[in-house]
Amino acid sequence: MLVTQEFTVKVDGNIILDDLHLDFGPGIHVVMGPNGVGKSTFAHALMGNPKYQTEGAVQIDGKDLMCLETHERAQAGLFLSFQHPTPIEGLSNFQFLRQAIKTSSIANSLSTYRELLSEFNLPEGFERKSLNVEASGGEQKKNEIIQMLMLDPKVAILDEPDSGLDVDAINVLSKQLTKFANQQNKTLIVITHYQQLIEKLSPESITIFKNKRAKQFDDISIAYEILENGFGIDV
Amino acid sequence: MTEYRDLDNKYTAGFSTNVESEDFAPGLDVDVIKRLSAIKNEPEWVTEFRLKSFEHLQKIQEPNWANVNYNPIDYQSLSYYSAPKIRSKEDIPQEILDTFDKLGVPLHERDSLLGIEDTNKIPTVAVDAVFDSVSIATTFQEELKRHGIIFCSMSEAIQEHSELVKEYLGSVVPPKDNYFACLNSAVFTDGTFCYIPPGVKCPMELNTYFRINARNTGQFERTLIIADADSYVSYLEGCTAPAYDENTLHAAVVELVTHDRAEIKYSTVQNWYPGDENGVGGVLNFVTKRGLCKGESSKISWTQVETGSAVTWKYPSCILRGNNSIGEFYSVAVTKGKQQADTGTKMFHVGKNTKSTIISKGISFGDSSNTYRGMVRINKSAKESRNYTQCDSLMLDNSKALTLPVVMQYNNNSIVEHEASTGKLSEDALYYLQSRGFSEEDAVNCIVSGFCKDVFQHLPLEFAAEANKLLSVTLEGAVG
Repeated sequence: MLVTQEFTVKVDGNIILDDLHLDFGPGIHVVMGPNGVGKSTFAHALMGNPKYQTEGAVQIDGKDLMCLETHERAQAGLFLSFQHPTPIEGLSNFQFLRQAIKTSSIANSLSTYRELLSEFNLPEGFERKSLNVEASGGEQKKNEIIQMLMLDPKVAILDEPDSGLDVDAINVLSKQLTKFANQQNKTLIVITHYQQLIEKLSPESITIFKNKRAKQFDDISIAYEILENGFGIDV
Repeated sequence: MTEYRDLDNKYTAGFSTNVESEDFAPGLDVDVIKRLSAIKNEPEWVTEFRLKSFEHLQKIQEPNWANVNYNPIDYQSLSYYSAPKIRSKEDIPQEILDTFDKLGVPLHERDSLLGIEDTNKIPTVAVDAVFDSVSIATTFQEELKRHGIIFCSMSEAIQEHSELVKEYLGSVVPPKDNYFACLNSAVFTDGTFCYIPPGVKCPMELNTYFRINARNTGQFERTLIIADADSYVSYLEGCTAPAYDENTLHAAVVELVTHDRAEIKYSTVQNWYPGDENGVGGVLNFVTKRGLCKGESSKISWTQVETGSAVTWKYPSCILRGNNSIGEFYSVAVTKGKQQADTGTKMFHVGKNTKSTIISKGISFGDSSNTYRGMVRINKSAKESRNYTQCDSLMLDNSKALTLPVVMQYNNNSIVEHEASTGKLSEDALYYLQSRGFSEEDAVNCIVSGFCKDVFQHLPLEFAAEANKLLSVTLEGAVG
């Protein structure tokens, strides 16, 4: 469960997001909004990226995140799947994951890793490749989701996890996300533009970002209305 | 923005050992050299070699072209010989045994190197341990002898294998080569001698561990490795020194010779005392290392991990004389605080179809400066030769990185490639790893060790583990 109150995000003193009151309970939630409205900013500000100045309150299962550094937020159970994962030359996927699961007490064991690699249809030897180097956009996205499943966070924010994925991969993705969210007390916040994924995930709520603000709807039909008529509709 | 604070000094080998020793009073003249030669009971040709070198030394100047600054060295204030009092090799003072034990250097043949627990898969390592001016123990000599391999201290080699030493000493690095090589040729104390006979693949890694202990004493070791036709040896060199406030001079000479189809793999993990955070003290590491690929299809490979020393001036080089011979240089140089490194390599292509590879990774923190200086020279005779050079530097804080490659190509059928990159440690990469729960220190560690991977993979297995460990200790406290 992730809750924000009076959450404001600034970059170089300019307000990007203003006074967000959002409540993401267990299950899947979808975040939508026009390009450049600050959806990714929201995700990275929650993760504690030092580029952003934030005010207000953010809690995971009642635990305050605002006073924590990025790695402490991760250790507190927050995960962010990047829209554009950062390449790190020379650090293999396997080495990276071995180190990463040490930071989490509830992470899955490395034996699960092989199963996930084959489930997501990643090529032989992928684990020996440098992290996000020489991997296609789709492979990087799959890798982000595998990391999430391995680290088993309480709250995961997925920034356009579907972009660059083929039809088969979208099916595996939605299946795995649903399975993950069906566990007790897991919250998934998915930023997406795609109807196909929204339908498959049948989310608990839709949050629309617009004009520095965000509004949360329990009635998910708003998503379909937007997909048909655009973000110009009055919300 | 992430802020990096000044590093703590995490130099764990900085202790000194209290041991009774026989020292020369400071000063350098003909008498000192004669006494040094006499105390070592050297044959006349060695004394001559020293005196001729000293004569030449008076006529030349220290080189000043390197991108380093240090206070002038007063050569008369240094002592040129310091030997712990040892009656026999069976009676080594406990303090010295403890010193090497503390440093993880096994002087007993049952020990394995570098404290790795799983001894099953670790190849045996023979060790020559040099404490100040003398070699105090060499292990596995008997077993090596069965293969016809000579692995002993230079002093012993001069006594026991005088003709062999005479044939090769100064043949790759002549005494007149440069000021520090000349100084070394006049006053060298101990070091390691290896000879691998034809057709023999050395069954274990050979390791020399150099320990400076005495204050105000220069360390001038001399190493000579000869791989005869069709032989192979992997040689490792490690070094540490106590944390003294004065600079300690280390001017070594290393010469390698490979005959037809022979290969020498020479790996160094250099961890001399780097001085404190204000740049006080530390080792001046002015070393001449050169290999001669004398025979056809022979190969010399230098791998170095340089983390220590206040000032490093070092260019392990290869002369590729034999046709089809191969030279390699893989280097990681880390500088932090006020450290200065000017290091790189020279590849001289003389024989036909010779190949060289240079991969250099410089990492600099704090106010340090890190220079790569390289020269690739392809002679007219070196037809159809190839060189590939890659120089990458990674910078943090106010550090400086400089890349100075020189290429001289005197024929038109050879290929020389050069790639270089310079970058700051990426904030994005740090943040990405932190978002996966890595502390900043772990994140920096992973990024830096990934950056060094191309070099570390050329180190022998157990040395690679040591290098990674040393790297993480070096980075500890370098970021915060």
